Amino acid sequence: MTVLAVASGKGGTGKTTVAAHLASASARTRSTILVDLDVEAPDATGYFPAAHATGDTEAVSVLVPEVVESLCTGCGLCARACRFGAILVIGGVVTIDQKVCKGCGRCVAVCPAKALKEVKMNVGETTRRSADSLDLLEGRMAVGDIRSTVVIEAAKRRAALAGASLQIRDCPPGVSCPATHAIEGADYLILIAEPTEFSIHDLGAAVKLGRERGIPTGVVINKDGFGTADVAGFCASEGVPVIGRIAFLRERAASGATATLWLQDPLIMDEMDRILSRALAGARTRSVS
Amino acid sequence: MITVSVASGKGGAGKTSIAAALAATLGAGCLFADCDVDAANGAIALGARINIREPYFAGPGYQIEPSACTGCGRCHAACRFGAIEPVAGSRAFRIIQELCERCGACVDQCPTKAITTFEKQAGELFVSTGRTGTKLIHAELEPGEDTSGKLVALVRKRAAALALPEATIVVDAPPGIGCPVIASVTGCDLVLVVVEASASGIRDAGRLVELILSMKRQSVAIINKTGLNASMDEHARRMLAEAGIPLAGEIPFDPALRSAEESNRTWASVACGSSDAVKAALVNVMGVITTLKEKS
Repeated sequence: MTVLAVASGKGGTGKTTVAAHLASASARTRSTILVDLDVEAPDATGYFPAAHATGDTEAVSVLVPEVVESLCTGCGLCARACRFGAILVIGGVVTIDQKVCKGCGRCVAVCPAKALKEVKMNVGETTRRSADSLDLLEGRMAVGDIRSTVVIEAAKRRAALAGASLQIRDCPPGVSCPATHAIEGADYLILIAEPTEFSIHDLGAAVKLGRERGIPTGVVINKDGFGTADVAGFCASEGVPVIGRIAFLRERAASGATATLWLQDPLIMDEMDRILSRALAGARTRSVS
Repeated sequence: MITVSVASGKGGAGKTSIAAALAATLGAGCLFADCDVDAANGAIALGARINIREPYFAGPGYQIEPSACTGCGRCHAACRFGAIEPVAGSRAFRIIQELCERCGACVDQCPTKAITTFEKQAGELFVSTGRTGTKLIHAELEPGEDTSGKLVALVRKRAAALALPEATIVVDAPPGIGCPVIASVTGCDLVLVVVEASASGIRDAGRLVELILSMKRQSVAIINKTGLNASMDEHARRMLAEAGIPLAGEIPFDPALRSAEESNRTWASVACGSSDAVKAALVNVMGVITTLKEKS
């Protein structure tokens, strides 16, 4: 299995649109799964209105502590152990903010009275769907939760079980923990940029993240001609190849608004094939263990 | 002091451009807090010159001293994030920093105290002045660092400390609905919801609206990139109406707005087909801010 991660730094440059097209192009010739790891704003499934569920929606949960009042001595060791500020002890009374808890279990392990028991808390879900020959897997964090990385890791685990020969990940924007978790384990990083100063600034951070993680990286210039900022010049200075270009057209912006795929547009689909072959040629080879 | 957080759910909906235009309209009484700390573009939008820079430390990380590790594996068993692995060809274990949540559960279990802490600079915080005098607080998180919510809270704290009593703080929130967004919206007086008039934009803004309502924040909305598809525009209006969020205005999709960024201006002062719509929307948002100020 080869894993391509589609990311960008800046949001709204066209990650999901490009990922959906790459996956559609790839599914014509090989078993492919599109994995939506933008779990706070999952939109990839929206490009496949005819997709139907092919498996259960699986809940993603973490184990969070609950106080057994009859056993608690109010010693406060749990609060001192918690690095996330999820436990407050006032006047010997322990209050746990389960929404802030990361479920590390440290408090449970340090409690001398064994007064903390763990319960499952739902943080999101993963759903498997199919659109013709393409498999889809969506991770979705519950609204109000902050544990996006837990949902991302659960979606990655479930995607790996699908056994597709190519996995295309639609990653979240930014370069902090959700993006890091989403690109971790990828064989090639496809960064989507648009010709604006905002995009180039954020692309710089994404290129740095890929380099630090040792993932070979290429850039697709989307909305080419929309602005005048020199993405190609930036890529040359960073030593990162430009592996594709998609011209800006108002009609494309309009069909993007309705999440409509351009599967009949040979200009787009040929470019997708070129991007795929360049990414696969540049992907790191997995050691077979 | 009034705090207005600009958020959208979806990335690329126009948060930063609208936040910068609002800041320019507010003028000298505005402080701009760029809370999109891992893709910070407020400084570009406002033409900022950095006056003060300070390092940001995220708190200690953990590492295993190989010479002290006996390979008992208790840390490995205690870690729930799969962040501890055996080192090939050795007895020792190591911590995979990218997966480590820095909870410290491993430290308690190590019988030889082989797990030590280290501090690493995780980013930088800046106090800057924009080209028209707007004061900016912004930050850059090191790529791969995992404490964006904490840095957001720091940016907001610094902004609040610098703001005069009559000031308005404009917070440019990151995309999504997770930890740094909650940190950007917590305690604000008004959320300016930027809805991109697209299927994805409306869906993501809908999740954001659900979050805002659960946090009991007052909000007002701008629909951006209208005119591409009439049914999407209508869908966006309906979503906001159903959530009870007043609409301050709609900005038609206009590639010419790009020229603002390229000519060192904000959307508030650029001349193009969408200028009047931008100004009208901002006037309405300013009206809401004025009412809030009168009440406080």
